[in-house]
Amino acid sequence: MIRGRRSVVLLRHLVLVLLSAAMLVPFYWVLKTSITDENIFAYPPHLLPTDPNLFSYVDVWYLIPFPRFLWNSVVVSLLAIAGNLVLNALAGYALTRNFPGQRFATLLLLSCMMIPFQATIIPAYLITAKLGLLNSYLGLALPLLSTIICIFVFKASFEAVPRSLVEAARIDGLGDLRILWRVMLPLSRAAIGTNVILAFTWSWNNFLWPLIITRTVSMQTLPLGLANFLSYMENTTSALYAFVVMVLAPGIAVFLMAQKEFIRGLTSGAAKG
Amino acid sequence: MRRWRAWLLNRFVVVPVVLALIVLGWNIYVSLHAHGVIAGEVVDASGRPVAGATVTLYHLNFITEVKTGETRTNGQGRFRFTDNNSHLIELQAAAGGATSPRVTVRLWFRAQDRDLASPLTLHGLAPAS
Amino acid sequence: MIRGGMWRRRRTRQAAVAVCFLAPSLALFFLYRILPLFWNVALSVERWSPLRPTRWAGLYYYQDMLSSDTFWLTLENTMIFIASAIPAIALALVIALLVNSDLRGAAVYRTIFFLSYPLMSVAVAIIWQWMFEQKAGLINYVLLSLGVISQPIPFLGSFDWALPAVIIANTWQVLGFYMIILLAGLQNIPPHLYEAARIDGVPALARLWRITLPLLKPSIFLAAIIGILNSFSCFDLVYVMTHGGPGHATEILITYIYKAGFEESRFDYAAALTVVQFLVLMALTILANRAAGGNAGAVE
Repeated sequence: MIRGRRSVVLLRHLVLVLLSAAMLVPFYWVLKTSITDENIFAYPPHLLPTDPNLFSYVDVWYLIPFPRFLWNSVVVSLLAIAGNLVLNALAGYALTRNFPGQRFATLLLLSCMMIPFQATIIPAYLITAKLGLLNSYLGLALPLLSTIICIFVFKASFEAVPRSLVEAARIDGLGDLRILWRVMLPLSRAAIGTNVILAFTWSWNNFLWPLIITRTVSMQTLPLGLANFLSYMENTTSALYAFVVMVLAPGIAVFLMAQKEFIRGLTSGAAKG
Repeated sequence: MRRWRAWLLNRFVVVPVVLALIVLGWNIYVSLHAHGVIAGEVVDASGRPVAGATVTLYHLNFITEVKTGETRTNGQGRFRFTDNNSHLIELQAAAGGATSPRVTVRLWFRAQDRDLASPLTLHGLAPAS
Repeated sequence: MIRGGMWRRRRTRQAAVAVCFLAPSLALFFLYRILPLFWNVALSVERWSPLRPTRWAGLYYYQDMLSSDTFWLTLENTMIFIASAIPAIALALVIALLVNSDLRGAAVYRTIFFLSYPLMSVAVAIIWQWMFEQKAGLINYVLLSLGVISQPIPFLGSFDWALPAVIIANTWQVLGFYMIILLAGLQNIPPHLYEAARIDGVPALARLWRITLPLLKPSIFLAAIIGILNSFSCFDLVYVMTHGGPGHATEILITYIYKAGFEESRFDYAAALTVVQFLVLMALTILANRAAGGNAGAVE
């Protein structure tokens, strides 16, 4: 019996290792291409990098406006994170209060969740143009300043705060804003973490909206810069793959730091819809 | 005090702080070593230094190359550029009708000072009489 | 309970505060979700031009769309994309079952499988474009070495292989998300059900079929919805990997809409396409809900 179970465990590990290797191969392949020095189109392709060097990364840093793209992405992401924290906390708190129209507001938000961004691009472009926000940081961040999934994450977290604390604060005469800031938010650190990581990831990876909104190269974000580099350099140089690695690194680093919050946000938010 | 320590040791604070320190350290290193000095030697096929050879400096990017400087070697066959501000350059020496192969120099940051490890060799140069 | 003036004033003040708090978010969603939905319809029945005032066009663009071969090809591609979610969810289920246990290193495996999801789709597109490269790509190299093919296949340039290639790249990216959803569902199944079945002598496969799968229905339904939404929002990957080509072999609805709207400046036609896309999405969601037995597949 025990021997049977051990071989089953080994089999599970074997299958998982094979599948994991298959999932990781694209990462390795791109990493290898970015540090190899030879002509990357040499056939047959070498499985190990020849003459590994990091100079492609130096090329990407100087010969492409990579610092500018990075800065733009960072600014837009910070705007999105700040907006999400403020707006979602306010909205989530409001949804926990009983007021006439609360159910209507909740239903409205839930139904808005069914409208994907892709169904709104043309009017969204026209609206942003009318607001005069084309090609600006605010215009880039505006549709991302609040997300419904994150509102419900805050709502669930606020509803878990013991009512006695809220009642005590109210008796002390604290206004709603103070209650939110002093009582609810300190107890909702997980929800804040989820908000931050989801807002960061969605704004950092956003490609379609910057593609529509930006008009000049100096306002492009990282995904846009990467796609443009591909379109005029094709894939002739290993610098493209160094660019890809440099673009993926922050995303992967942030994800690894905040894995739990990210996954929790996605599963709880997805379950709501 | 303990609360501040827990707050400081949080991974969301440690990682950005460490990154910021690395970036700061790197920038300090760069500013100390970025004078744009490229120095090297020109020799002929037998290894003897060649005086008075013309050395040309090219700046490269992905598609083009631009000639940005020219200098001559001194009596010991050594040359020196002092105003390089690129990270990807090519050097070529020429004297008496013979030219050396193009040598690509890849630097870690713009205007990094570099002393070439191997000299530019002029093959096919008639030995000085 | 205090009734009368004070209570009512407090209630109105509460309502006012709540509305104030909700206002910014609601304004944002009105501006960028609700208004565009209706504006699309308005745009689709008018002849839009940046130079002249709009004129009524009625159902002209819808007729144009329905008689266009490209539209039907695009719709077919999108449906194939959605259908590809089925094997992907099955594979994710297998992985979730393997990972869900007190297996040592389960967390590491979970991270590895989920790692591809939070990545930038543009970068994923470039990675897979390079993998599918005709000359220097890994896929061709492996297939040639294994003797499966005798000539390298120009995956992204061939009418037959471009869509499967894009689908494989997309599956690689979304697999982790399916796995996470299914894993969460698996961990919600109370273990005493398994214990009871094991005591009753039910074999493992029957346990899987009788206990696990029915209780996983909500999670599978959720994964299916994600799959459907994914096919409608997979713009980045398709646009960067093949730009919808060759010809329109990998064109999906969203890339077609983008091209019509922003590359050909035909906002009216693109708006009509968007309306149809939204309706198809709604129809598919309702169908999926019906297929799962209503109520989002919840189990009593």
